[in-house]
Amino acid sequence: MKNYLKLVHFELNRFIKIYVTLIGVTIISQFTGIFLQSRNHAAFVNQTLQEESLSIKQFFINYSPFTMVNITNSGWFVIPIVFSAAALVFYSFFIWYRDWFGKNAFIYRLLMLPTNRINLFFSKLTSIFLMVLGLVAIQLILLPIESALFNNLLPDYLRYNLSTQTIISSSEYLTFLFPNSFIQFLIHYGVGLLILIVLFTIILFERSFHFKGILYGGLFGAGTLVLMLSPFIIQAKLNAYYLYPSENVAIELILGLAIASLCIWVSHYLLNKKITV
Amino acid sequence: MIEVNNITKKFGRKKILKGLSFTAEKGQITCLIGINGAGKTTALNAIMNLTPINSGKILIDGRPLTKESYQTIAFIPDTIAMLPQMTIKQAMDFMKDFYLTWNQERATELLAFFHLTEKEKIADLSKGNIAKVNLMLGLALDVDYLLMDEPFSGIDIFSREQITNVFTSHLIEDRGVIITTHEINDIEHLIDKVVLIDDGIVVKEFNAEDMREQEEKSIVDVMREVYIK
Repeated sequence: MKNYLKLVHFELNRFIKIYVTLIGVTIISQFTGIFLQSRNHAAFVNQTLQEESLSIKQFFINYSPFTMVNITNSGWFVIPIVFSAAALVFYSFFIWYRDWFGKNAFIYRLLMLPTNRINLFFSKLTSIFLMVLGLVAIQLILLPIESALFNNLLPDYLRYNLSTQTIISSSEYLTFLFPNSFIQFLIHYGVGLLILIVLFTIILFERSFHFKGILYGGLFGAGTLVLMLSPFIIQAKLNAYYLYPSENVAIELILGLAIASLCIWVSHYLLNKKITV
Repeated sequence: MIEVNNITKKFGRKKILKGLSFTAEKGQITCLIGINGAGKTTALNAIMNLTPINSGKILIDGRPLTKESYQTIAFIPDTIAMLPQMTIKQAMDFMKDFYLTWNQERATELLAFFHLTEKEKIADLSKGNIAKVNLMLGLALDVDYLLMDEPFSGIDIFSREQITNVFTSHLIEDRGVIITTHEINDIEHLIDKVVLIDDGIVVKEFNAEDMREQEEKSIVDVMREVYIK
């Protein structure tokens, strides 16, 4: 356990500079978006009022209200989030491959540590998951601050005030990031974690058997996907949808746990018996 | 004792080790010699379970390698296997964090011996100094066995001299050492046992001192006999 925690700490330290950069880019982009879009909106309202000789009241009748959702759905908000997500997807591969192909083949050192090799798997998994949760948490903290800034930048009559919860529920991607129930949270992040576990197992197949490993890994990945979807496939084939949604969720949960256990067992075997430097 | 018993290893269709067997005793320096591709590095990797073998058995003091064995057997590969952005101190701290057998006093002694400072970054070190840090990280572990893969590879004569001096010092005493090297002249007089490997098998195994005294042949003489037919 101690070695696992040391490895998590070590892995997080290795990514910290890029991680801080991602957070920085997100904050700068989103705050810049709020400033620019608020300013543009104020200019647009003034120009429209003058050009169309409208009163404020008439303006609000003719044009939809400007809210924080207009900003959260803009590129200033979405692009850094997509960029961070892409960086973490890329890092899910890089976290393994850099140890083999990096300048000093660090994998020698990692595999010779006097600890269970499966700790390498768990530490890398935990690091990525913590980084995802960290970014999501930071975004959740940022939203009310950004909303307050937005309210400060525009006078009452130029905007429509929304609560953080309304802002989240008004954007599809924010609803995905911040599910509104614990079950939804478990489903979203549980599926994410499961995908990561399967991906790591596929990478270990490749690192153990090289070209053949790509095939084995691909088949393994496809197998887990079919297994995960099997309840829906079977119900569709039989054209019999007897199960309640909660029952479907329970079956998926059991299948997910079974797949995760299988992946961990396979990874443990590969790391101890098949992996090569 | 490290016992390598009839091990085979295939990479794809190519058989690299074809039934390799040898032993290495504690308190002795055993040198694996062979031309490039003979299987020396693969043999060391196999002992450390860094490359799984296809068949055969490897025992360390009568038992197969486990995670605990890494506290008692150290491998110094031909690459430093530490992150380039680390300083020497960070590399030492990493070892200290994970190995109960890390001997800080010895590490400091070795740094002084090699004229290195803790603040230096691995990425900024010369090839010779990287080899010394690599050696220091292995030697500072209180282990029973030490495996070294080409410790003299590509480094200058002065660094080589310094590293050779380590072999005659108390730092190696009582440990079992398995070394692979091409630079046999530098350490010929220090080697106890020689294992000549060719094409994945042992072609000759002998005691270096007996060979010198009884047959009046150096290791290089025997190598000539074996490899240049």
